[in-house]
Amino acid sequence: MNRERTMHRTSRALTLGLLVTVGFLTVCPVFMLLLGSFSEGLTSFGRFTLSKYVQAYTDRAFAEILLNTALFTLGSAFVATGLALFLAYLNTRTNIPFKSLFGIISLVPMMIPHILFAVSWLLLLNPSNGLINLLIRQMFNLEESVFNIYSLPGMILVEGLLDLPIAYLVLAPAMAAFDVSLEESSRVCGASNLRTLARVTLPVLRPAILASVTLVIVRSLASFAVPSVLGMPGRIYVLATHLYRIIATGFAADYGMAAAVGMSVLATSITLIYMYRYLTAEGEKYVTISSRAYRPTVIDLKNARYPLFLIVGGLSLVLIVLPVLVLLYTSLVPYSMVPSARAFALMSAKHWTAVLRDPVSVLSVKNSLFLGVVGATLGIVLSVFVCYTIVKVRTLASGILESLSFLSFSFPGIVIGVGFMWFFVRTPLYATIWSLLIGYIATYLPYGLRPLTSAFVQIHSHLEESSRVCGGGTLYTLRRIVVPLLIPGIVSGWILMATMFVRELTLSVVLSRPGTEVLAVQILRFAEDGLWGRLSALGIVMIAISTTLVIIASLIGSRLTRVEVGNRGRDGVVG
Amino acid sequence: MEIRIANVSKNYFSEGKRITALSGVDLTIPAKQIFTLLGPSGCGKTTLLRCIVGLEMPDSGEIAIGEETVFSSEKNTFVPPEKRGLNMVFQSYAIWPHMNVFDNVAYPLQARKVPRDEIRRRVEKTLRFVQLEGFENRPATRLSGGQQQRVALARALVAEPRVILFDEPLSNLDAKLREETRKELRAFLTALKITAVYVTHDRIEALSLSDTVAVMKDGRIVEIGTPRQIYFDSDRRFVVDFIGRTNLIEGKATSVEKDQTVIECALGVITCNQRSGARPGQQVTVSIRPEFIRVIKGDVQRMPNVFRGRLESLVFVGEACEGEIRIGTTLLIARFDATAVVREGDEITLHFDPDHCSVLSA
Repeated sequence: MNRERTMHRTSRALTLGLLVTVGFLTVCPVFMLLLGSFSEGLTSFGRFTLSKYVQAYTDRAFAEILLNTALFTLGSAFVATGLALFLAYLNTRTNIPFKSLFGIISLVPMMIPHILFAVSWLLLLNPSNGLINLLIRQMFNLEESVFNIYSLPGMILVEGLLDLPIAYLVLAPAMAAFDVSLEESSRVCGASNLRTLARVTLPVLRPAILASVTLVIVRSLASFAVPSVLGMPGRIYVLATHLYRIIATGFAADYGMAAAVGMSVLATSITLIYMYRYLTAEGEKYVTISSRAYRPTVIDLKNARYPLFLIVGGLSLVLIVLPVLVLLYTSLVPYSMVPSARAFALMSAKHWTAVLRDPVSVLSVKNSLFLGVVGATLGIVLSVFVCYTIVKVRTLASGILESLSFLSFSFPGIVIGVGFMWFFVRTPLYATIWSLLIGYIATYLPYGLRPLTSAFVQIHSHLEESSRVCGGGTLYTLRRIVVPLLIPGIVSGWILMATMFVRELTLSVVLSRPGTEVLAVQILRFAEDGLWGRLSALGIVMIAISTTLVIIASLIGSRLTRVEVGNRGRDGVVG
Repeated sequence: MEIRIANVSKNYFSEGKRITALSGVDLTIPAKQIFTLLGPSGCGKTTLLRCIVGLEMPDSGEIAIGEETVFSSEKNTFVPPEKRGLNMVFQSYAIWPHMNVFDNVAYPLQARKVPRDEIRRRVEKTLRFVQLEGFENRPATRLSGGQQQRVALARALVAEPRVILFDEPLSNLDAKLREETRKELRAFLTALKITAVYVTHDRIEALSLSDTVAVMKDGRIVEIGTPRQIYFDSDRRFVVDFIGRTNLIEGKATSVEKDQTVIECALGVITCNQRSGARPGQQVTVSIRPEFIRVIKGDVQRMPNVFRGRLESLVFVGEACEGEIRIGTTLLIARFDATAVVREGDEITLHFDPDHCSVLSA
């Protein structure tokens, strides 16, 4: 009797503690943003005032910014969703060769940080010395460059490619779970493959397509890397860069006005995310997933097999290989030039030594590494407890916890950064690395929760109960049953968080101060100063750190899961 | 090991409503028997099992296993499941997916820190017993349903528990495999002479597997007896109806003697050769199972329990024929030999076996 009561008390204390923690992380920045938008100044609130709203929304340039934002987000959504549909269809429904490539494409965002991806396109397509522009000019003896990446179409193309994986992750499962009999009956009625696709497949997939569009809009609304690297040089401002302009450039940073603008970004984002949640819940109703095991009929592409594969192959080249190659090349040549014998002769480690001798760059490496390792570890510990409460405890409080942690999924980094700024400036945490750490965990908590939730769901309560019945106490059960089954979820959650933290830009541009520079912010500084060589060198360091963390975490994960195999070897096979 | 359960109650709260899972259960489960808790879903049978094993704590009452009191609300005693020395086979088998067969089976011994050599010896012996030799290194996820079931059984048996409990262990198997496994399980348990408590909602499983059956309803034990007693002799309407198909006929008792009760009903007069608690003149219900209604030939009007009716429908179900017979306004179901020469629409003469006409008390 005592045991059950103590258990109740601990689980209630746990739930309460988590509610306070997660509540602080999610509600605090929103609340401070709201408070700040009605205040006179950052350091002292002053009187209640609407002046910041008036100032922010009567700005003459504001209408153009809104239009740019709408075009940018919608355009990216169409590019990403269109490409994702094409890829998902080819992968799940046709006999295209080398299907493993599709898995790689969906993993790309973990490998290439957005700012570097944007920079690499800038290095290829900027009008003054973009490599492709230079090449075309040389080949055809042109005066003017053909492409200009500092334009809305350029921004849309790059953002669309960046958000392609997220759209693919939404669409591919829906496409795979599609009930083929719907298509088959269309074929039986005499419709061609193409007609079936247009009249049956796409309409049935509509909820998934809408969900993908919504999600990409949210992502591109929060996107800062592409608008800052590609938009600001051409004076094309969207809401995210407008916010950045208010707080980081000009004579006086106006955090009140930033908060006033941020409120509408946040409101839009939260609305869209709830729409997305509704759509995916609806989607489960529409997309008929039958429990019987069936293989979708595979459509034979015949002669189009290899040409289509070339397109996919080209796409993955553009997504993965090209950015890394361009960065590596730029980090070695003295200035922008088309690859040639002369270019290779001029190559040197000049930019590398400059970066490695630059104290701020070295500091930013240290800071990002610390945030990646310590932040992800703390974040994953919090995620384990939150998931446990959401999946296993299941009280009213855990429902609130779930909604709260889902809320932070919709947070645009730069807006949340402004909100946190209003909070941190009142605490000793201001301008310390810990303020970045807290902000990171608040914004990226869902990345830790997602893989852990599925891991917890998989652990049926019978698995724990049978261990108890077999004579294993609570701790023994935890050690031999629960933890080993959770490790894959913990590892992928940690990897997701760590890679996100190492490359974090949008929150950091607000919260980072002299002494707490991080990699992405330092890269942005190089971009603003046009130091492409140093930028590329530091960018490759960033990719190397992310990749190393992924590899180490995966190795530790497989080592930990192999402990059971080890036991097996000693107890079972030997002798 | 005998299990004594005294006045055990358990309530749940779900969405603000109070649900009674067990209300004052008194039960003694004899040692070295297969004892089955049978009842419809929601009757509390699984809750009772989980209270015995220690995965749930009753609100009140007392549970003792052998000499040891494992739960008592009065003395504030609660022995956790890992210290009760029992084991259990779960409905989902609960085979740990990250271990192989050997480690799954060895787990109870490893948890009790048994020396390694002995673990090996005992696991091998147990796997041989459940006919899974050579499966030691097979990952648990690569087993068929029947094999998983046997791994779960081996794991439950390996530490030689005082009592082994089963929570609907056959419900995830397909019909044919379920029948084979049922026979195997009976053979295993009989060979081991172990106390087994078995929960099921399947009456055939309960009847064919058990030494003793307890029928549960709404958190209470309704009746306890051997499978035969439960099937043939029960005079409770719920039990009679739940344990098999039957015809229920309303009537009035006209004479009640020691071993014979005569009932007058719409069909005529029915003689029951069973002890009953009815009083003359009382309204009663008679139960007669389909297999005890027989077709007879020739003029036997003078015999008791003989009626004439019309065969409304006849369905061939393989090992037998099932017919619906109308006598006046009453429709009865009867089970005939598959070879019986009767056809739909025939006027036939029926005989109710008086030894198997039971007068229900409640």
